[in-house]
Amino acid sequence: MAAADGHMESSCSSVKEDPPARGKHRTVALKLASLHSTFNRMKMGICKFCLNSYLLLFSIGNFLLQTLLAKLLHCSAELLVLCLHVSRCTLPKDDPQVVCGRKDLFLALAGLFSMGRSYIVEDDVEGYLSRLCSQLAGPVTGLLIGQSMVQRDFVVMATRTPQNNESSDGGKSVDKEWVSEHARQVSRMLPGGLSVLGVFLISESDAKETLTTLRQLVFSVENLISSERLWTPADDDVTDCVTLHVNPKTRKTVCRTFDVKDPKSMAKPADWKYQSGVCSSWATVSCCLSVDLMVPLPENMAFTRNMGDCLKGELKVWAQQIERGVCLIEGRKLPEDSELKAGQKKNVRQTISAQLLITPDVQTAADVVQRCGGCVSVSGAIHSRAFLHSNKPKAKLAEKLLKRDIVSTVATRVQMLLEEPQTQNEENKGRKQTEQFCLPRRVFCPVKSTGPLSVCDYQFSDEGLSEMTDRFKEMLDMDAAEEDLDATQEMIAEVIESEVTEGVAMATAVALLALAASIVYLSDV
Amino acid sequence: ILADSESAVILRLRGPLDLKCLLDSIDVVPMQKAISRTFEALRLQVKSESCVLAVCNSPVLIWPNKSVFEEISPDAPCEDIFQFIQTDDQETSGNRSAKKKNKKRVSASVINLSLMMEATKPGPVSAPILTRTVQKSHLLCATLPMDCAIWSSCSDTIKDGCERLMKALTRQLFEMEKVTLQCMKGTTLLIPEPLHFLLPEPNGLVTVVFPSGVPDKELEAQRQELHGQFELPDNKPFFRRANTYHFPNEPYKDGYLRNPHTVLTHPTLDNGKVYLVQGIYSYHHYMQDRMDDNGWGCAYRSLQTICSWFQQQGYVERGVPSHKEIQQALVEVGDKQASFVGSRQWIGSIEVQAVLNHLLGVTSKIMFVSQGSELASKGRELANHFMTEGTPVMIGGGVLAHTILGIAWSETTGEIRYLILDPHYTGAEDLPVITEKGWCGWKGPDFWDQTAYYNLCLPQRPRVI
Repeated sequence: MAAADGHMESSCSSVKEDPPARGKHRTVALKLASLHSTFNRMKMGICKFCLNSYLLLFSIGNFLLQTLLAKLLHCSAELLVLCLHVSRCTLPKDDPQVVCGRKDLFLALAGLFSMGRSYIVEDDVEGYLSRLCSQLAGPVTGLLIGQSMVQRDFVVMATRTPQNNESSDGGKSVDKEWVSEHARQVSRMLPGGLSVLGVFLISESDAKETLTTLRQLVFSVENLISSERLWTPADDDVTDCVTLHVNPKTRKTVCRTFDVKDPKSMAKPADWKYQSGVCSSWATVSCCLSVDLMVPLPENMAFTRNMGDCLKGELKVWAQQIERGVCLIEGRKLPEDSELKAGQKKNVRQTISAQLLITPDVQTAADVVQRCGGCVSVSGAIHSRAFLHSNKPKAKLAEKLLKRDIVSTVATRVQMLLEEPQTQNEENKGRKQTEQFCLPRRVFCPVKSTGPLSVCDYQFSDEGLSEMTDRFKEMLDMDAAEEDLDATQEMIAEVIESEVTEGVAMATAVALLALAASIVYLSDV
Repeated sequence: ILADSESAVILRLRGPLDLKCLLDSIDVVPMQKAISRTFEALRLQVKSESCVLAVCNSPVLIWPNKSVFEEISPDAPCEDIFQFIQTDDQETSGNRSAKKKNKKRVSASVINLSLMMEATKPGPVSAPILTRTVQKSHLLCATLPMDCAIWSSCSDTIKDGCERLMKALTRQLFEMEKVTLQCMKGTTLLIPEPLHFLLPEPNGLVTVVFPSGVPDKELEAQRQELHGQFELPDNKPFFRRANTYHFPNEPYKDGYLRNPHTVLTHPTLDNGKVYLVQGIYSYHHYMQDRMDDNGWGCAYRSLQTICSWFQQQGYVERGVPSHKEIQQALVEVGDKQASFVGSRQWIGSIEVQAVLNHLLGVTSKIMFVSQGSELASKGRELANHFMTEGTPVMIGGGVLAHTILGIAWSETTGEIRYLILDPHYTGAEDLPVITEKGWCGWKGPDFWDQTAYYNLCLPQRPRVI
């Protein structure tokens, strides 16, 4: 019985781990080989040491690597990754087929081979994960937050999944739905440019089990978050999500990615590197935008559910209007590939102002006047913000991230309002009825005391800033004080219902500053 | 056509505006009030600082109500905007060499602008309010297709041009409100549609708002009023939908060439004057529409050219008839047997007259010359025809049929030239080829077979508006 004649080198790059010795790989290969009674077939397996999948070719005598290459060119990227893993083996030099083919093979593979993603992680995250390892017993899950670019990814913070007081086993096992729900809520608290990049798991379980768990978590999280999205993903968006496994005893970390667009995707190794100052060098692009939507309610009253659906439909149309809008950076329409002035200094705060010009959709309904059961309107303005890692950010990217934030912040608030009990009041007395509700206003909280990055939350008119700090603690495990919060960008409108004129009830909104009780620290964002 | 076309620039502003309001009651008076209020809100919107004019295909942006001009200076002449416009390199066929050959500028140039609203504004802002009104009512929801065009001379600055455009925009909203309210019937509302017409001097380019979807024949009263207002003759249409001004460089969707004769230099005769067809026609010739009528279809094509004239001047709404339709018409009037349809039989001016009458309701005069040499003496009649009727003339004789688009004639010397559109051309719609090779060109009296007899069909213009 012949075995794969190879020393498999590890191509995984978890910084905390020593590269496994070649000899170990050989043993594994032999062990696997002994389990198989068939030859000349490609087999998939998992290396116990680096937890990478590899491709094992059984053949009598030598590697038929050229055949491998030919076959693999039709395969997915994951398999190509594995192929290089295999091809680093020492090949019998006297094999004529292999010798003459090898250089071409390497070049071809190098071209096709995707080296896996590279995550640059804020130093503080290391400390945070470390503390979680020592503090808590049982498996700990959490989210990794940052920005994913085509070239590389930045992780700016990590946050553990909050305790689930209603969980059946007291939190001993990992609750997929709970983690996903946490991710959905955290996702609403991230301004443009920042998103939930993946999950981490601190547990002592073995490799195989954690891989399955992480895989399930990451797909579940991504599915839930994307189901709420109103903006359409772009073709050049990164679809890889990261999973990080930390063993609390050994502190060994393993980082892998999954392509969430492909339900059958396999884990790909990824780099995980800690660096200081990851939270500092970001550019901020922001604007304040007027929102004016009006949508009819259907004739038969089925209330809140209908109002929610109607609004969602209108928001989708409005989202397309925003996506189509012309974006001006610093007052000008820049060519897509132009780079924004990115300061090289890490500590210089950079805010880029943006403007958005829109045109209404052309209505194509046959009847200009249609019966309805009333209407819902959303009127006011919002503050939108997006962050770009300022390694020469492109105008096109700034526009994309800002537009997404605009759509998300309005959709989130409408959704939050619909979830409030008072909007679900069913009473309809048959006469004309007008009600007004304030959408919550956006309040920002800096991620670090220095640096431009911030997260956000939404404050209803009956909430105080202390409720916000509580939520920042619960959702993002952030210890923020009320003074740190920036509530100056938006003001809660107070509703005064003026005379109900025929046709449209005009509400005059008078802006009030936030509740006097809270002390607002004016930051210079 | 126009005196100052060489230095003129047309500024054209287009863009959609949302007309949306909740109608509590659909009784006439409250509904009218609600609509008026909504129009007033739109007028405020276009006067606000968030109104933006974006020059198409350029980085130029103008906030007319804030006097903010991006990329250009407000005091620069309007023509300067052309420097910033990046057009596609594709040009309509023939334009390139037509420009080389003919120095005179055929028409004015157009600067297209888009109407947009700036959604962003300075902060801090007031968070949105959700208002829910529950009541059995109606929602009015439509898009107004704003379209304003102003003629600007070379001395106009960009600032002036924009001011005039914004005034035109507000005026158009007033007119649209009027038309909407006038044409309101119960809950049926017609969307007002602005159309541009190029009237003879001193009126120039004029924009009129009509209710969309209403056919020309139902709008005669409006046209009467307009004719009165602009002091136009009451026997010639100026405001039918087909009369709308075709902006320069806007391609025609059907692909036919329009008025190829306009790129030619007309002959100068001693004491001679040029009398030409008035209006727009399309050039129809052999092999078009995948119809191989080479050798027998020349009179049909001439007839098609004439029909295209009546359609484009707004006298008829029906499109140009095909060979089959022409043959069918002749069967219907009893002029031909049923077997005629689908055949390749020639027709002459009598048949052309019959078809024009049957399909278009147009009467024609027939002129007969017993020999081709006599045509030279028909200068006065032809000159009169082009002056009073201005329609293309079909001439058939010997074995050929042609279209006469005009003459150059000297009353004193009797010298005459004929502007001929030849339907025997079999090539593509290539303006340089057609004009250089004489498929559309000026011919002398020896163009005609001096011994053959000729019949001319002179279509008469209906005296309607």
